Amino acid sequence: MSAQKKFVKFFSQYAVVIIFVMITVAAIPPSGLSIKYILQEIITRLGRNSFLVLALLLPIYAGMGLNFGMTLGAMAGQVGLIFAVNFGISNWHGLLFALLVGLPISVFLGWICGLVMNRAKGREMVTGYILAFFINGIYQFFVMYMLGSVIPMGNRAIVLSRGYGIRNTLNLESVRQSLDNILVLRVGGYAVPVVTFIIIALLCIFIVWFKKTKLGQDMRAVGQDMVVAEAAGIPVEKTRIIAIIISTVLACAGQIIFLQNMGNLATYNAHDQTGFFAVAAILVGGASVTHASIANVFIGVTLLHSMFVVSPLAGQKLFGSAMIGEYFRQFIGYGVIALSLVLYAWRTRKAAADARLGLRGGTNGSTKVSAVKNGANGAAGNGGQA
Amino acid sequence: MNGTTKTRRLAIRGGLLVIYVLLMVLMIMTGRRHTILIDNKDAADGSYSAINGMEVAIDRQESSEYYPGDRDKAMVQGQTHKIKVTIFDDNKTIEKEFKVPLWSDVMIISVPKLIAGVEPWIEPFTMAEQIQEAQESGPPAGETSFQSIGPAQPMEVEQVPPTP
Repeated sequence: MSAQKKFVKFFSQYAVVIIFVMITVAAIPPSGLSIKYILQEIITRLGRNSFLVLALLLPIYAGMGLNFGMTLGAMAGQVGLIFAVNFGISNWHGLLFALLVGLPISVFLGWICGLVMNRAKGREMVTGYILAFFINGIYQFFVMYMLGSVIPMGNRAIVLSRGYGIRNTLNLESVRQSLDNILVLRVGGYAVPVVTFIIIALLCIFIVWFKKTKLGQDMRAVGQDMVVAEAAGIPVEKTRIIAIIISTVLACAGQIIFLQNMGNLATYNAHDQTGFFAVAAILVGGASVTHASIANVFIGVTLLHSMFVVSPLAGQKLFGSAMIGEYFRQFIGYGVIALSLVLYAWRTRKAAADARLGLRGGTNGSTKVSAVKNGANGAAGNGGQA
Repeated sequence: MNGTTKTRRLAIRGGLLVIYVLLMVLMIMTGRRHTILIDNKDAADGSYSAINGMEVAIDRQESSEYYPGDRDKAMVQGQTHKIKVTIFDDNKTIEKEFKVPLWSDVMIISVPKLIAGVEPWIEPFTMAEQIQEAQESGPPAGETSFQSIGPAQPMEVEQVPPTP
């Protein structure tokens, strides 16, 4: 392979990461922020967001693409937190209670999501996205009407003045940073929330272990080729449902970790952007619709959030308005997802074209093999192309 | 699957469900937060009087100083707690254990009652009850009241000449 081809291949594979690193590094000097401040922010945001982003891995392994349906899990976590605040349960007890309440809801929602996605094979991403809108409607109805009217709420402070429905913003003061503050390690002026990172590390170990189990191997097989997996006796649909259920449950826990760090809950729209930012983070980290690893999660969260930290101030200094930086944030998030999907589609088409060319004997053997391999991924319709 | 396996599986699932529910109940019992009002006021009937000066600490929380008429609050989690009172006059320290009912959000501890041995020195506190009690006992002497007493009197209005 010529050097130019190698460069094109490398750039197409890591284009999102390279562009992101360039933008972030360029935005640091005009932002005027110190490296120490940026590092502390990144540590905090790693603890806050990594769990949510890790929830995306299993559906990718199972060939279901980026699980925008994780929003369902986030909603379940929020319902759990609403009940924890209603009962006045504070500290980590409140978080565990919220998880216990959210867990069955997220399993149920994940099961529904899995069933729907099994009927929309090859279109999982867009299906998950629209399904999240649908479930959002039910969530709004539940929180805005059912809570306080059908389900009694003892804590009048969180109920709207009309007597039912939850207030727009919920103060999570009773559970605020209760997980982060269990053990804080102070090293060189940096505060590290140890317990949060231990939980994230445990999840990473679980994912590594899970990939080696029978179910994990089945997921990989289903992700590679559903037809072959079915022929090999793997229950494809059941495996896919399990992948989505685990992802939804992890999203539930991730949203609870996220919100305890934030300290307040925007009742009606906190979950709106959950899937979107998690997906953007994993893509920025170098993952694609079909391939992702734990490393992609941490690289992505670090890069995306360092950009989030510097962009408002860089926007303020460069254009005289911090709002420009805020818009930039949104633009970059959607832009990254779009670019990544375009690159994925381009790579799949190129691989198929190379495979055709290879069959005609117009290219070397190595290209032929890799092209056929990539083509199999794309052609099987497991990529979850939106 | 034979009957025994099915029964065992059902029993295990049922057991797990019970553990799940028990865990939730445990979280409510150990994690529920209550507000404790610490009061240092005279009794209305004069049966006990406020402590001249004292330091009060709940559990391992930071202690606070109280003088006659003071009232402050402390937040506690769970149901069983300790109160430690150190009286400045004779440097006497009193420690008592108390329980907060699970569904009570706010409790009031009257320290003068506790020192005098008057029961109950810890009671549930509700704003509505306090307002009702205050209304029933009438306005305290020497304080401004916005309630009208007796028939309304015509107000004297100063006549001001019309301005040109």
